[in-house]
Amino acid sequence: MTESTKEKALARRVAALSEEDLTIPEPNYRWMGKSHQWGTHVRPGKKGLTVGDLNVGYYAEIPEFWEDQTRMPRGSVAGRGGIPPIGYSVRHKHELWADNAADLYEEAIQRRWISTSAIPWHTLEALPDDVEGAMCQLCTELCQQANTEIETITRWQDQLSYGFHEVKLFLASESFDAARHFEVFRKRALANGGGMGLESRGEVNRMILESMGGWTETVALLHLLRGVFTLTVYRHGRAFAHNEAERVMFTKCTEDKARHLAYGLEHLKYAIAHQQDQAMILEQVLAIGEHVLLRELKDPVMRECLAIIFAGGIEGAGSEGMAKFEHLMGDYVRHYLSLCDWLGLQRRSMMPNRFKNYLEK
Amino acid sequence: MKKKAQRDPNPDIELDLGWLKHRGEWGTRAEPGKDGLSLGDIQIGSYADPADESDNQTGRSRGSASRPDGFRIGGYEVRSKREVWLENAASLYEEALQRQWSSATDIPWQTIKELPDDIEQAQCQLATFLTEVEFVAADVPARWIAKISPEYHEPRMTLLAQIMDESRHLDVFRKRAFANGGGLMQRTGGTSGVVGSIDMSRDFTEMSSRLHISGEGAVLSIFRMGELMAYNEAEKHIYRLCGQDEARHVAFGVMHLRYMAETAPERRDEIHCYLDDSERNLLAGQQNPAANQTSTSEALAILLGGGKDKFDEGYKKLLAIRRRQVKEFVQRVKSAGFGERFENGRSNPELMKYAKAA
Repeated sequence: MTESTKEKALARRVAALSEEDLTIPEPNYRWMGKSHQWGTHVRPGKKGLTVGDLNVGYYAEIPEFWEDQTRMPRGSVAGRGGIPPIGYSVRHKHELWADNAADLYEEAIQRRWISTSAIPWHTLEALPDDVEGAMCQLCTELCQQANTEIETITRWQDQLSYGFHEVKLFLASESFDAARHFEVFRKRALANGGGMGLESRGEVNRMILESMGGWTETVALLHLLRGVFTLTVYRHGRAFAHNEAERVMFTKCTEDKARHLAYGLEHLKYAIAHQQDQAMILEQVLAIGEHVLLRELKDPVMRECLAIIFAGGIEGAGSEGMAKFEHLMGDYVRHYLSLCDWLGLQRRSMMPNRFKNYLEK
Repeated sequence: MKKKAQRDPNPDIELDLGWLKHRGEWGTRAEPGKDGLSLGDIQIGSYADPADESDNQTGRSRGSASRPDGFRIGGYEVRSKREVWLENAASLYEEALQRQWSSATDIPWQTIKELPDDIEQAQCQLATFLTEVEFVAADVPARWIAKISPEYHEPRMTLLAQIMDESRHLDVFRKRAFANGGGLMQRTGGTSGVVGSIDMSRDFTEMSSRLHISGEGAVLSIFRMGELMAYNEAEKHIYRLCGQDEARHVAFGVMHLRYMAETAPERRDEIHCYLDDSERNLLAGQQNPAANQTSTSEALAILLGGGKDKFDEGYKKLLAIRRRQVKEFVQRVKSAGFGERFENGRSNPELMKYAKAA
């Protein structure tokens, strides 16, 4: 319907109103003039009008503790009281904040992609059965990792106070990214003569989902410990891609995952700087998490499917493939430890021996 | 059972490879269509249809092989297809992906020009309200996603797209409030933790009927008339783009309710109770910006009339829009298969008065 058609239709509806219908209440206008900072004039910059641009003057004040338990937008006037609470549990800034959340949210939107059309699916070609089997197994595992990310973030989403909307917005984009990762790996598994593989044993997934004590602790496990591992797998997936479709798939997912990690690190840095004992708590959480991750990797499925992909088949998987898998683990541990160092977390000297062994790989 | 690597002459590490024998249906080859490889395109073979009841408590992807030593980590409450399914979830998800937009760059912010103070205040009050209520449609679905078995990933993914859409709605209305010399105004308390509210729903279909059919439906009617209360191209773009998103969310609710009506006739009476709530919220709740005597209804009247001095004229238009809201609500409920309530006296009399006049 065009604008003029809508106008005419509305005019007809107005003309059809009866006298009884036309009881017009006296406006009270009590809401008028109620603003903490009137005269705000934010202009779009070269990246358009971004969420970060809005943090000006009064509206840039992000409280250390968000008292309100409703969906009151930060910077609005509370007005009438007596609104029954919704019940947010994460209300301290140090529990979720990251200075880069607003920018990462905008970046997620700018870098959105569609697995339907952005992946050149026509470049898939038949692979040897063992390689296809390994690739499908890897995709099955990555689907389940993405599912864990979805479930973890969405469980927390409605617990995060409205006063920190930048973080809520970013996490919405991260769970949407994870949906796309789930989708693209499922598509890959079902597009080239294979199918879904064996489900994950799920010990790391369970650990992340069970870390409901605090969002910061969840971030340490989801974004840092598991996130860096997944990122490393994506990077190796790109390096060993069999075709353009897989190369684009892993490249796009790597970009997304790097963004998720950027939030995680910034938040952990903030939490450590603003909360006494947070570093020690995280060190303990990560120490437990490292053992769980290593225990899960004793299960042969993930490392063997990667070894087959790296070796180009079962032949060589036990030697060359496993050597490359250990190199992947070395990359992972080095990256993970460098980030722990950056955060000021003492992990290098206290890590499990098997982690230390990987450092040589 | 351990098994030696079959063709590795000099293995450093003995491989197990038992997992290669445990997998889903093999030989699947989904073909891309003219638009690429969509979520619907991979609904093939044994991967096409989810089970009516799901025993998946480990979070595995549909069709993958289960393992006896997998951890039961899901705790999924929604494990029946009829509780969450809709036939077109995959296409709604695909549409959501295709129609993603950026409030930073897709809104022609430069077209906003200074407005009379009463109009700017009305616009900012409406923007404050929408900043406040739009994210209920993100927080609440988010709460449900991890409760739904991953067997039904299509509806879950559509809800994840909705969460993203609602984030954009929150941000675009916040941007509008700050872009033209105004600011945020007064919170309305439009969503809150009271019995009967969207937030407090205990059942997925209950939540969907309150959120998608009633709440988002009411806002959609407003967005569809947005061009008539917009004062520049930027605002027209905002309402148009948000309206597209909102229509998709409403479609989710209608299609889910329709599936429920067809597959769970024993729940019809219960669903009617939820629709009773939906009608009450539509007529009197703070969730509906056009409901009687709210700050947003006054703001809308100013915007529709063209100023405070034309409040009555604007309010008449608002009354006409409310009729349209009711008419569209009735159409949705009929389309979902619950239209008998408008024939058998179940529907709210006040709503029926609006519907008959529309």
